[in-house]
Amino acid sequence: MLNRMHDEGHNTTAVVISWTLCLRSLCTRQKQAKSREFVKKERSGLRQMACSVLFHCPCLNPPTDPPPPPSQASSSTSNHPLHTLFFCEECDAIRCDRCVSVEVSAYHCPNCLFEVPSASVRAEKNRCTNTLSVVPSDPPGLTWDTQSSSISLGAINEPPFLLFCNFCRWDSSELGIKFDKPTGLAAQLQRHEDSAPEMLEFERLKEHFATYLRAQQSSSATSQQSQPHHRSHHTSLTVATAAASSALARDIPGVSKHRRKDKDRGAGIDKEELPIYKSRIESASLGTLGLGADEEDVEFLKKLDTENGIEDVARLEQRWTGSWQGSIHSRDLRPLRMPLHSKKSKRCPVCRHILIKPEQKTQSVRYKIKLVAANYLPSIVPLFPSLTPQGLTAAQKKALSTKGSTMSVDEGIDHPLVSMHAGRTYPFQLAFTNPLYDPIHVKLSVQRQSLPSTSSSGTTDSGSTKKVPPNFAINLPTSSFPISAYAEAWEYEDEDEEEMLLDDEALAIGGSGISSSNNTGSRKGKGGSSSANIGVIERKANVTVVGGEVVVGKEGRGDVKFNMMVSYTYRSDEPSQTTSIKGEGKTRTAASEMKTFSFWVVVHLGGIIVRDREKDRDRERGSEENPREG
Amino acid sequence: MPLLPPIWYIKAEFIETDTGNKVSRKATIAGPQNIILGGKTIISNGAIIRGDLRRTGPGHAVVISLGRYCVVGEGCVVRPPYKTYRGNFNYYPMKIGDHVHIGAGSVVEAASIGNHVEIGKNCIIGKFTIIKDCAKIEDNTILPPNTVVPALVRFGGAPGVFVEDLPESTQEMVEQYTKQYYTRFQPLEQA
Repeated sequence: MLNRMHDEGHNTTAVVISWTLCLRSLCTRQKQAKSREFVKKERSGLRQMACSVLFHCPCLNPPTDPPPPPSQASSSTSNHPLHTLFFCEECDAIRCDRCVSVEVSAYHCPNCLFEVPSASVRAEKNRCTNTLSVVPSDPPGLTWDTQSSSISLGAINEPPFLLFCNFCRWDSSELGIKFDKPTGLAAQLQRHEDSAPEMLEFERLKEHFATYLRAQQSSSATSQQSQPHHRSHHTSLTVATAAASSALARDIPGVSKHRRKDKDRGAGIDKEELPIYKSRIESASLGTLGLGADEEDVEFLKKLDTENGIEDVARLEQRWTGSWQGSIHSRDLRPLRMPLHSKKSKRCPVCRHILIKPEQKTQSVRYKIKLVAANYLPSIVPLFPSLTPQGLTAAQKKALSTKGSTMSVDEGIDHPLVSMHAGRTYPFQLAFTNPLYDPIHVKLSVQRQSLPSTSSSGTTDSGSTKKVPPNFAINLPTSSFPISAYAEAWEYEDEDEEEMLLDDEALAIGGSGISSSNNTGSRKGKGGSSSANIGVIERKANVTVVGGEVVVGKEGRGDVKFNMMVSYTYRSDEPSQTTSIKGEGKTRTAASEMKTFSFWVVVHLGGIIVRDREKDRDRERGSEENPREG
Repeated sequence: MPLLPPIWYIKAEFIETDTGNKVSRKATIAGPQNIILGGKTIISNGAIIRGDLRRTGPGHAVVISLGRYCVVGEGCVVRPPYKTYRGNFNYYPMKIGDHVHIGAGSVVEAASIGNHVEIGKNCIIGKFTIIKDCAKIEDNTILPPNTVVPALVRFGGAPGVFVEDLPESTQEMVEQYTKQYYTRFQPLEQA
């Protein structure tokens, strides 16, 4: 209903009443740049600031090896938040966005949301035929609805029509673009596009190679059978890359044929036989493209000093996506058709099974296949009970009542980074949530900190003789602990008594001497004895909170960040699955049908505040290293 | 989820309806008969919701409808878009789906907002904007009128432009977060 009304509006001449923001004033643009920088900083800062658990994808190092220590810069590329990871059931392995192979499953325009069949994607040069974008004075990507933003000059609904930007009040009379009718503007503009020098040059190139491509295509038909044979000689090519490259070759005729050409020379036309290609424009006559017009350029530069002179220069973002060296004058920029977006399906890089397959419909957010790691691995949330109190202090209560607004001890989903003092011990908790419908048993093991501290950056090599004590030590329960199965929320309510029973039973299995599970008494003071802090602290529904301790060394510095291997054991009730996995040598006993899956995570708890004495020493030593901020 | 600490509010300041909506007494709700709240939706202090700007003509008209587990942040302005069509000035209804969070200080004049949408703080969502499911608008974004934000993308900047695609599990993440937010939103008896 709403959409229809909106669509009706398209056919009218929309007069935009007021939009106070005009990007074309310089100060606004500067402000915008600043705010964007700020946002970017804030975003990257948040990622650093939060105490986090990142999951390791073994795509960059062999799965048998432990991941590199988190203090190394190389480790950062293979650790991801859980919700961005995938899980391949066939390989029984974690996959990340970096290692999956991506295929385009459907194209659509991000503005009009029409799906574009892949045949016309190529014909229309990856752009939408309905929507225009890239207003010359705006940043690229600003969408422009051709119909609703066109206004007429003079009488209503009378030609000529102009394009009009809702955001900066630019209109196309500046460029001398006028339209006879208010529909199909993109098609009308395409005439400009087709006569652009890069398009003409591209057409010429295609024409030049047409005979060659045709010959290749016919010869490829004959050598089709030999193709896999050749591929098999390439030992480096896995099945996945072979399939990917053949998919690539499908889209770009000639590319794969060139490669084959090198192997079996002699079939078809050689590239060398082609006549030399001559460009449409001689490089000597490039004056119009800014290479020869000296005086004009000088004039242009002089004008830049005047007020708003810089506005005449097209910004880099507006120019660098073009395939052709264009003019730097902003007045020469033209509205372009909207670049298309795509929906992508993702495959496992090893076994080629589909991990992600979106529904075809543009507006749908559902997936036909969605194998995400969050459905297979327990999620882990770090908590600092001593630093994020469950209740409000009296002062906060008072502030709340006087301020008269909602108040949170810890706003947002991210936890603030915790600062720790050297030489102290801090309790922390890890909350594990089980997504599986079966109870699991989890075992943790922390990777030993073998590397010297980050401060002695000169001697990070393992060959160095100088041994530096580790910055911190982590104490976590070593025995396995249970997490109950996932169930719908209403099921838990009836289960309360059962759960208590389960608790005792499970604890007996786990065998770790654990504090009693007073579910609200999870908060322990700083002065709590270490034995009380380590172990299972709370079990509720499918969440188990495990307590640990971090002992910060006297000379400790840097971040408290460590690798941890998480192994969980679960009961597999699908016999068909187990047989299929058998070949890969899974660690499991056939009798009990218990299977174990292990993965690595990086836990980042916070930074260490260097003690004052140390700071002073640093200052004396000089400015070669930055003292860590607290 | 017991994981995150509660967000406290003063009990006397909020009205809780049968369906679990929590509406601040300090919010300005104009034309409440034209506003639909789906349940378990929070209207924060200082929010302004203009249900009075209705379509001209006889009969009952829904001006603003919000789904379940929505949050309208502090100081937000939610008002229906308007335009002059064939010489007649008129307001048009606004529909907001489930699990939509609107950050503090934002002004929303969208035509429709889908499900699982996150709008940051201090945003301006222009008239007749269409935001599809699972989109995310960064803080301080300005969307010009008639913008379309496709599903599963992040928009940001002034004017708001495409930033990146969001991961496939966004829907679950947002749903979990909004549900958790509602359970965390706890009353505090006045001392």
